[in-house]
Amino acid sequence: MKEGFRQAMAWLHTWAGLIFGWLLFAIFLTGTLAYFKDEISHWMQPEVPARSLSSEASLALAQHYLEQHAAGASRWLIDLPDAREPGLSVRWQQAPAKPGTRGQFTEKRLDPQTGAEVQGRDTRGGEFFYRFHFQLQMPYPWGRWLSTIAAMVMFVALISGIITHKKIFKDFFTFRPRKGQRSWLDGHNAVGVLVLPFHLMITYSSLVIFMSMVMPASILAAYNGDVEAFYDEVFPASNTPDMAGKPGQLAPLAPLLERASELWSGGRTGSLTVNNSGDANASVILARDGADRVVHDFGSAVTFNGVTGQLLSATPKQAMPMVIAGSFYGLHMGHFAGPVLRWLYFMCGLAGTAMIGTGLVIWLGKRQLKHAKSGVMPFELRLVEVLNIASLSGLMVAVAVFFWANRLLPVAMAGRADWEVNSFFIVWGLSVLHAVVRRGRAAWVEQLALTALLFCALPLLNALTTPYHLGVTLMQGDWAMAGFDLTCLGSGLFFAWTAWKMQRAGQAGIATRPRAKPMLLEQEAH
Amino acid sequence: MFLALLLCYGGFTALCLSMDRHHAELLGRKPSARRRQAMKLSGWLLLALSLWAAVSSTGWGLGLVEWFAVLMLSALLLVWLMTYRPRLALALAGLSLLASPVAVFAKG
Repeated sequence: MKEGFRQAMAWLHTWAGLIFGWLLFAIFLTGTLAYFKDEISHWMQPEVPARSLSSEASLALAQHYLEQHAAGASRWLIDLPDAREPGLSVRWQQAPAKPGTRGQFTEKRLDPQTGAEVQGRDTRGGEFFYRFHFQLQMPYPWGRWLSTIAAMVMFVALISGIITHKKIFKDFFTFRPRKGQRSWLDGHNAVGVLVLPFHLMITYSSLVIFMSMVMPASILAAYNGDVEAFYDEVFPASNTPDMAGKPGQLAPLAPLLERASELWSGGRTGSLTVNNSGDANASVILARDGADRVVHDFGSAVTFNGVTGQLLSATPKQAMPMVIAGSFYGLHMGHFAGPVLRWLYFMCGLAGTAMIGTGLVIWLGKRQLKHAKSGVMPFELRLVEVLNIASLSGLMVAVAVFFWANRLLPVAMAGRADWEVNSFFIVWGLSVLHAVVRRGRAAWVEQLALTALLFCALPLLNALTTPYHLGVTLMQGDWAMAGFDLTCLGSGLFFAWTAWKMQRAGQAGIATRPRAKPMLLEQEAH
Repeated sequence: MFLALLLCYGGFTALCLSMDRHHAELLGRKPSARRRQAMKLSGWLLLALSLWAAVSSTGWGLGLVEWFAVLMLSALLLVWLMTYRPRLALALAGLSLLASPVAVFAKG
C-alpha cells in the first residue's frame, strides 16, 4: 500500500514536472533575474546617472521642477531615489481622471543632483523580466492565470517530489559525478533538498500573492461577490479633501519626510503624491518605503495638508492577518534584502531554476536509454528534446540577445523598447527552429556556445557602445553597472564550460557508453 | 551573517562526517560509534548556535531569513566542495570553526 502511494506520487511528479517544467523554468529564471531588476534597469539605461543624495535634497529639486512645469496639475507623483534605484522620477496628471479610467500621466526623470531632465533610452529594463515572471507577456488576466496554475503545479511537484524521494536524509550530502543519469538525479535531488526551504517559501508565497485567483471562494462569500470591496478594505485609500477652489501656496515638502519618519519610528518615505498642488486644500500623501522590514508594507501612508502642513490622517497599524500575508509577500519579493542577502536570494533562485532544468533532462535521459541502440527516437521523445533545448539553452540565448539589443538598437528608434522585447522572442523562436533542424547534442552544444559567446562579449559591447565600461565603473564604485558586466562575464564562462563538457561527453559517449550525460548542473546559471 | 555562515558550514561538515559513507570518503575509514555520536551531537549544536548567531545580530524577522539563506548555501557549498575538492572542504570546516570565536570577538 505504501509503495503504491509512493509510486503514484512518482508518477505525479514525473508528469506534472514535464508538462509545466518548460514554463516553470522560464518563470524561475526571469524571477531570479528580477531580484536584480533595478540593477538591470540601471545597466540598460546608462544615461541616468547613479548618484547618492539625500531624500530631502532630491525632493526639493523635484518640487521645484514640478512647480515650474506642472503648476496646477491635479496630481503629482514623486518617486524618491534609494540606494538601488538612484534615479529621481516625477509624474503628473494635468486633469483628474474620470472614474473607472486610468489617468494620463506625463513622466520625467531628473538628475537628483542638478534637477535637470535626464533622457534615458527607451527600454523596459529589468521590469521586462519582472513582468514576464508572472504575466508571461500575455494579455491580462490570462498570463496571471497561467502563472498561478504553474505555481500550483510547482507546489504539487515539490510535495510529490519529497514523498517520492526515499532517502532524503541518507542521501542528504550525496553527489556522485561522472555517472551519467545517476549524477543528474543526484544533482536534481541535491539542489532540490538542500534549497528546499527556499522552494517551499517561494512557491507557497506565490499562491498567497495570487490568493484571490487561487481561492476566491472565501472572499466572494464574505463580500457578497464583490472582490473590489475586499481590496478596498485591505488597501484603504487615503481620503483626500476636495478642492477648496481658492489658490494656495504649497509649503516646502522636504520637512514632511522627517515628520513621516517619526510616525513610522524611523521608516523612510518611498514616494509622495501631491493632490491639487495649487489649491488651498492641497494634500500630500507620503507612502512608506518597505525596504527596511521583511514584512511587506501594503501601503502605509500619512497625509498632510500641503499648505499648512497639518497632519490629516495616517493608515492604521497592520492587522495580524495582514502581517502574515505581508511576510509571505515580503519574503517572495525580497525588497528588504541588502547586497549580500540579495545575492543569496539570486543563488537560491538559480538553484530552483537548475532543479527544474535537471528534472527535464532526467525525464528525457531515462527514456532515451531505451532507444540508444537503435538510434531512432520516437516522435514524442524528439518533441520533448526539442522543447528542452529551446526552453533551457534557447531561453539563455534570448536573455543575452535582449541585453545585446539594448546596446545595438539606435537610441532614437521608434518603438525601441518594444523591439528589445521582440528580439528576445524572435531569438527564442529561432532557437526552437534550430533545435528542430540540428541533432540533439549538436543543438545543445551550439546554443550553449552561442550563449557563452554572447555573455562573454557583453562587457566588451558595453565598452564599445557606451562610455561606462568596466574600467570606469569599477573606479567610480558604480557596483550595479560593474556587477552586471562581471556577472555576464562569469555566466559566459560558465556556459562555455557547459558547452565544452557537453561536447566532450558526446564524443566519449560515442566511443564507450551509449548515452552518458555530462555534468551541466550545479547552477543553470543566468 | 558571517558568523552564522561559519557555524553552519562547520555544523554541516560534522553532520556529514557522522555518516559512515562520507566519513570513509573524506577520512578513509569508518568512524567508531562514539565518534559518530559525537559528530552528530556537535553538528546539531553548531547549527543551533548558528541560528542564535543570526537571530541575535539582526532580530527574529531578518535573522531567520538570513539563517535559512546561509543554511541552504553552506550545505550546497559543502556538497559541491566534497565532490571536487574534498581536502578543501575539510580544511574550510576546520578554518571556519577556528575563525568563529574571532568573529564573535570582532563583533562584540
